[in-house]
Amino acid sequence: MTSAVGTTKQPGGITTPTGPRRARRFDVNRTTMVALVAPSVLLLLLINAYPLVSAANQSLHNGSLISSGSFVGLDNYRAVLTSPQFWQAAEFTLVFTIVGVFGSWAVGLGVALLLQADMPGRSLFKVLLLLPWVVPIVVSATSINYLVATPSSPVPSLFHALGLGTPLFLANPGWAKVTVCVYKVWVSFPFMMLMASAALASVPDTVYEAAQMDGAGAFQRFRRITLPMIARPTYISWILMTIFCVNDFPTIYLLTGGGPISATTTLVVLAYRTVFQNFQVGPGVAIAFLMTLTLVVVSVVLYRQIRKAAFH
Amino acid sequence: MAEMRASQHVSRRGFLGIGLGAGAAAVLAACSSGSSGKAASGGSGGTMKFWDMPWAAAAYNVAAKNLVATYKPASGLPSATYQEIQWANFTETFASAVASNTGPAVSTGGGFQAFQYAQQGAIAYADHLIQTFKSNGTYNDFLPGQVEAMKTPAGYVAVPWQLDIRVWWYSKPIFSKLGLTPPTTWDQLMSVGTTLAKHGYYAFGIGAGAGDFLGQHAMIMMMINNGGGIFNADNKLDVVTPRNIEAMEFVQQMAKAKMIDPASVSYTTDNLNAQWKSGKFAMGINTAGLDVSTGVTDGSLAPLPGPLAGPHGEKACLVFQNNIMMYKNTPSQAGSEAFLAWYIKNMGTYWKNNLLVGLPVLKSIIATPQFQQQGPRVAAVKNWVPYAKNYASVGTVLSPSLAKVDGSQQLTAFVQTMLGGGDPKQALQTLQSSLQPLFA
Repeated sequence: MTSAVGTTKQPGGITTPTGPRRARRFDVNRTTMVALVAPSVLLLLLINAYPLVSAANQSLHNGSLISSGSFVGLDNYRAVLTSPQFWQAAEFTLVFTIVGVFGSWAVGLGVALLLQADMPGRSLFKVLLLLPWVVPIVVSATSINYLVATPSSPVPSLFHALGLGTPLFLANPGWAKVTVCVYKVWVSFPFMMLMASAALASVPDTVYEAAQMDGAGAFQRFRRITLPMIARPTYISWILMTIFCVNDFPTIYLLTGGGPISATTTLVVLAYRTVFQNFQVGPGVAIAFLMTLTLVVVSVVLYRQIRKAAFH
Repeated sequence: MAEMRASQHVSRRGFLGIGLGAGAAAVLAACSSGSSGKAASGGSGGTMKFWDMPWAAAAYNVAAKNLVATYKPASGLPSATYQEIQWANFTETFASAVASNTGPAVSTGGGFQAFQYAQQGAIAYADHLIQTFKSNGTYNDFLPGQVEAMKTPAGYVAVPWQLDIRVWWYSKPIFSKLGLTPPTTWDQLMSVGTTLAKHGYYAFGIGAGAGDFLGQHAMIMMMINNGGGIFNADNKLDVVTPRNIEAMEFVQQMAKAKMIDPASVSYTTDNLNAQWKSGKFAMGINTAGLDVSTGVTDGSLAPLPGPLAGPHGEKACLVFQNNIMMYKNTPSQAGSEAFLAWYIKNMGTYWKNNLLVGLPVLKSIIATPQFQQQGPRVAAVKNWVPYAKNYASVGTVLSPSLAKVDGSQQLTAFVQTMLGGGDPKQALQTLQSSLQPLFA
């Protein structure tokens, strides 16, 4: 039996609010909510999910740039994972990322610590130190090329004058790797410096004062107070920089084109070349998917560290 | 006041209605813009797109745009719009446009692009236009063999409009200072190069760094010069041949004799030009416009008198037959053909105004007094074009396969290996095995 106010009397005298009026109100709210959220969800699906699904589909086909081709299952992944070029590129991507993340973090944190000191022109220094990050990569890569490309370029000439030989910074595979990594640290450290500066600003001075009164030295204060207290933003900056490094196409492509002899080819450059120079869309997209998978795993691991840091 | 508030208040239902309406409008707008875009390129919009590459300095594209603006189509045919497409990522630009039916009706582009898109069904064959050229005499104005190079079993994929040739250059002042005579054979090249190396000059000036494909071209040219190439007579990939090995052994000898700049592995085109300008390079393989691209236009840099004779006596150089192609996605095929015919007839203005370093394919343009004043280009037409072979050599026809090889990472790695003095046979074997999957 249903009452006028929309309640139902159950056997045993229990009354439950399940009347038609209540149900109607619930549905309207729910519909409103769904309708309001729907455009955003639809937009997200169009922007993120559609390309992802489409690319996943491409990685399972042997298509060209303008046709989808036939279904080949996991053949593209098999071909990629058994290719020496893929593993060579994966190895250099790892090196490039590790050096890029930790090199830029170390330099950025060091500079941020120095800039904590009260000195004249500190704001100006901060702005100047941001320049490598702000200047477009195409401009700075061209400048680096001018500095190191030929034996008569300024830097090799300087090495020669100092009796250190004439290193071929971009032509020798070993030197090219070093040059690309150093360049990456140089363009990335301002970002890390900004992140570290913001994190350091949140550490209260009183903690340092207390530690100093307890007799802690500068290194101890850095290790026991600074590092733990900036751990969360540090992990976040590592995640971001890992993504930046793994996906960094212009740095490599403009400086070395991935050479010499593929020495500086990273996975993203290999994916580009596979798709747009070899016209092998399926394998190229498969490489990109494997990269994405790796990045997701790394991000999850680092996010766990963030949670741990938050707990501590 | 209360009434006013009531009228201003938007009910939940009203809000939803507005939201859904706006969403629907956005979807409809997106759909309608897509279909109108298609109409502009492939429907009946009254205009058609002509896409062109930056073939020379900025002045070229300005002149090309102005030229296209003067095109007056016959009644009922579409007019043409001009769009410059950058070489950087041009493959993606064309591919995405062709795939979405928003591409051009007519375009210049990569040397093998027409063959590639013809295979994928996007090209409108030029057979009818070529037939028209044959009937009105235009066909005979083309240099011998140029039009036929565009022929495939299915038809003519494009119409040639300029030649991008690779020739040997030398520095006259350096040769004069050292009392050297320009070489005419590989043996003489080795002898002259050794002398140049002793004085700190490089005799095989090329680059193989980021975006610089001259190294690839130079290496293929050395193979072709020796009667080899990367394809055999059946147009199959065939890299590890005695002639190719011999040619690459010669390159290895040049590297050992310090005739090759060890940093050239990483040279961009700018680095390469800088080495020529600074007088470090005394010889090298380059386009027919090295003097223009380096800015050394005083005659100091000149092409060798002709291709070098290899150890077996063969003479050859490399040429890319750049072409203009028509696409099926056009408002009017007759309009595309009319525009292309008009463009071929009027493109002489580029050479008359010294805007292009690519060589003309029309005898009538070559004969103009303005072109005849361009010494290096005239020498290239006279002394090098008769020996020019294309990328397909030893094969006989251009094909979509060439697009996979030209500019490929495999070829880049091979060139960088050779410039570093790597083992020729091993490098060629690696090249063969790495290119093979592209043809699977």
